[in-house]
Amino acid sequence: METILGIAVDGVAYGTILFIISVGLSVMLGLMRVVNLAHGAFAMMAGYLASYGMQSLGLPYGLALLAAILLTVIVTLPLERLLYRRIYGGNNELQQVLLTIGLTFVIIAIANYSFGPTVKRIPLPDLLSGSVSLGSKTIPLHRAFVIGLGAATILGLWLLLERTNFGVRLRAAVDNPAMAEALGIRTERLYTAVFALSTGLAALGGVLGAELLPLDPYYAIRYIVLFLAVVAVGGAGSILGSVVAALALGILDTAGRYLVPNFGEFFFSAALILILFRWPNGFFHRRAA
Amino acid sequence: MIKVGVVGPFSGQFAQGGENFKQAIEVYQAIHGKTVKGDTVEFIYKDLPQVNPAQSRALSQELIVKDKVSFLAGYFLTPNALAVAPLIDEANIPAVIFNAATSIITEKSPRYVRTSFTLWQVTAPLADYVAKQGVKSVVTAVTDYGPGIDAEAAFKTVYEKAGGKIVDTIRMPLSTNDFAPFMQRIKDSKAEALYAFLPVPITTTFVKAFQDNGLKETGIKFYGPGDLTQEPDLPSMGDTALGLLTAFHYSQANPSALNQQFLAKHRELFGSSDKVTFFSVGAYDGVHTIYKMIEAAGGKDGLKAVNAIKGLSWESPRGPVTIDPVTRHVTQNVYLRVTEKKDGKLQNTQFETLTNQPDWGYPGVMK
Amino acid sequence: MRGDLMRLPAFLENHRARWGSVLGEPAVLPLMIGAGILGYFLFPEDLGLLTRILTMALYILSLDLVLGYAGIATLGHAALFGAGAYAAGIMAVHIVQDPLLLLLIGTLAGGLVALITGALILHAHGLTLLMLTIAVAQLLQSLANKWRELTGGSDGLSGIDPSPVLGLFRFDLYGRTSYLFALVVLIVAYAIARRIVRSPFGLACRGVKEDPLRIAALGGNPRRYLVVMYTVGGAFAGLAGALTTVTTGIVGLDSLGFTLSAEAVVMLVLGGTGRLYGAIIGTVAFMTIHHILAATDPFHWMLFIGLFLIGIVLFAPGGITAVSEKLAQRLARRGT
Repeated sequence: METILGIAVDGVAYGTILFIISVGLSVMLGLMRVVNLAHGAFAMMAGYLASYGMQSLGLPYGLALLAAILLTVIVTLPLERLLYRRIYGGNNELQQVLLTIGLTFVIIAIANYSFGPTVKRIPLPDLLSGSVSLGSKTIPLHRAFVIGLGAATILGLWLLLERTNFGVRLRAAVDNPAMAEALGIRTERLYTAVFALSTGLAALGGVLGAELLPLDPYYAIRYIVLFLAVVAVGGAGSILGSVVAALALGILDTAGRYLVPNFGEFFFSAALILILFRWPNGFFHRRAA
Repeated sequence: MIKVGVVGPFSGQFAQGGENFKQAIEVYQAIHGKTVKGDTVEFIYKDLPQVNPAQSRALSQELIVKDKVSFLAGYFLTPNALAVAPLIDEANIPAVIFNAATSIITEKSPRYVRTSFTLWQVTAPLADYVAKQGVKSVVTAVTDYGPGIDAEAAFKTVYEKAGGKIVDTIRMPLSTNDFAPFMQRIKDSKAEALYAFLPVPITTTFVKAFQDNGLKETGIKFYGPGDLTQEPDLPSMGDTALGLLTAFHYSQANPSALNQQFLAKHRELFGSSDKVTFFSVGAYDGVHTIYKMIEAAGGKDGLKAVNAIKGLSWESPRGPVTIDPVTRHVTQNVYLRVTEKKDGKLQNTQFETLTNQPDWGYPGVMK
Repeated sequence: MRGDLMRLPAFLENHRARWGSVLGEPAVLPLMIGAGILGYFLFPEDLGLLTRILTMALYILSLDLVLGYAGIATLGHAALFGAGAYAAGIMAVHIVQDPLLLLLIGTLAGGLVALITGALILHAHGLTLLMLTIAVAQLLQSLANKWRELTGGSDGLSGIDPSPVLGLFRFDLYGRTSYLFALVVLIVAYAIARRIVRSPFGLACRGVKEDPLRIAALGGNPRRYLVVMYTVGGAFAGLAGALTTVTTGIVGLDSLGFTLSAEAVVMLVLGGTGRLYGAIIGTVAFMTIHHILAATDPFHWMLFIGLFLIGIVLFAPGGITAVSEKLAQRLARRGT
């Protein structure tokens, strides 16, 4: 029982971070048909900015978080105009891989040059740095906070998609791009907005998740496979799919490490293969954006 | 002119190690001069950022064939060091290992010399100390790769021989980033103490997870080799590192005059000595053995050069050291240290010296 | 295959005109042989690096068969390379040391792994297929890490000492034997690969890549073509792995790693997919740039290579070969 509780709490916290970072990647793939391998690099960028803001400028946690997200979006938006627009669409995956890997390399090099190769921390405020006991299981407050914020993100995204004009247009464009265009939906502007949203979420996840996915320059490459796995399992463009997939993979990974630590990696890869074998199009294949 | 080829990680995630190598070499040359018996010693650097034994061999071959080096040096990671054994034997060139810390390496060729440490070397005396402190049960947690398995074996062997009980041995995948599940398992093992080994950069995360998951409060003692509390990582670990007990061969806080001189030269040349680590002394002492080999053999006949430094003793920034004639590995003091704050800065304060420790992992050394 | 092929020619004939420019490629083989021999005499001190380029080119060639000719998107190609490398390495440590036999073992191992995994995963498409290929490679890598007694685990498999080629040519310190051996293997493999892609089977694979429904309508089984081509590509990748084992004498976990898979795609796309010589040119370009940049500025070469990749996409989509082909065409038009 204790074991199950432990796996559940740690797995859900881990899965929440995976969700926050990956959902943007999923929506971009669903809508713009682009596999953005630099997505992890954007999350990392925000993490570094927040760390710098707190450690060197003395900003409080909340402010550093907001500033990092804003700055990341501002810095990456011109990239959307200049680079990404050329590679949208489903028929040039190879160009996408080359361009976004190139971009990732550049960001890694800049991170390494500016901050060095050692792990950077984002110190938690006192409010979040304690822990709470749940029976025999001690949960760091920060994890509880992450889970809460993840739930808020899901709710926010749901409201955005179901209750706003933007959401209606977005869903229309994902379901049927040609029709949406014909109906006069300005896909170009929509793409820019989705790109910003996606990067912003990656940034949020990068800062919040720094305790679980430590910040060093290789972050950008190390975790991108994990994020892509969430998208593949969840189904491109599906928010509900991303939630389920991220939680499932988070719990699976945690359970594997707890129950069979000596075969942790093996367990995870094997489970991933079985899942993708059973659901080759993901849990929720392009049903709702 | 005599050339030395240095293969190390000058970019990528281990770049800290490569930078330490390069700076320590420059410090050594600044203190001891650039010439030995009239020959200028020149260092040529080759970047090998990650595990890639085939590339390690190609780069070393290029250094021998094209650059005509008389010595090879560096080698941060074990597979990259192992890859050159056939090469150095064929070319009769010594390879001085500045870091790679798995015991088997020096067995593979009589031309390997190592000036770093091995996990057996620092862990065996630590395990003995832990047993003598009256700790009855230990759980080990190591990263699942060569050095981690060495560390686990060393601790288990010595600790059980001293009468202690290992209640669980956990091997963590190299790609692990969330340690919470392992922390829960460590807690569930109800052991009195934890022995852990992990490579950088995930050490920071592990130490933080130890505190965040409430293990520090339960009173379980935390022991490990000094990799866990490397000086450049201490600021990012923050107060979570306070009180960790580690065993290692070098600490920036070593009070010896020679170490102070070594650090002062670093500050003079590079503006700061905050990034100095055990990689630095590995390289510094490695250059010392190379200078001595040049004195003896003048950059020719690698085997003769290696034979000349067998049994060589000298005073290093880490303390007194000797090249063991059999293992060609450095015999040295292992210090017990505790991480504490001094003048607002975290450091590894040495409080006990276990003298003249050999590489306990070399066959026949441990009886 | 079997009878399906009978109905294909008419369909293929229509496409042949479009592929004409590709198939009527310049005299690549003589050029490769010439450049290879020239390299031997021009850079006698760089044979180690040149041998790495040759073995890598063979590996990228195998990826071109899979990705360029059958359209199978993979980020786990190292699984097949590593299978060959480890199979040859393990055999060399315990049983046989003859280099040619080791190459054969590697080829079979790569082909076998490709056949088994291909049959399992090739029903998937797009990102799912991509993830499956990655997961297969990761599975093999953790297996190799775990099975230390056999593979040496993370320390790498050392102690591989191949006997002289044909009992005559020792693998020497300067890497002369390694280089010439690798050159011969690459050229033979290239010639075989060219025959395969020009065969009815190869053309059918192209057909599957461009229009799977059409092939199905003509009575072909698209998935079966893909599995067979994946197996062929796997055999070539395994050969490349075994060649690396023989010429370097060591196998590490990196030979199954994600980096090797990802870099392969980069090199291939850089050169241009769907042209065998694109694989060669991409490899030579990438590795030469890497070597020069890493030698002059080992500290931040990633920045340059990253900018270079972005530049390729912006200014030379289709890779180096596509651009040079276009240039050549324009020049030819001006000439007539």
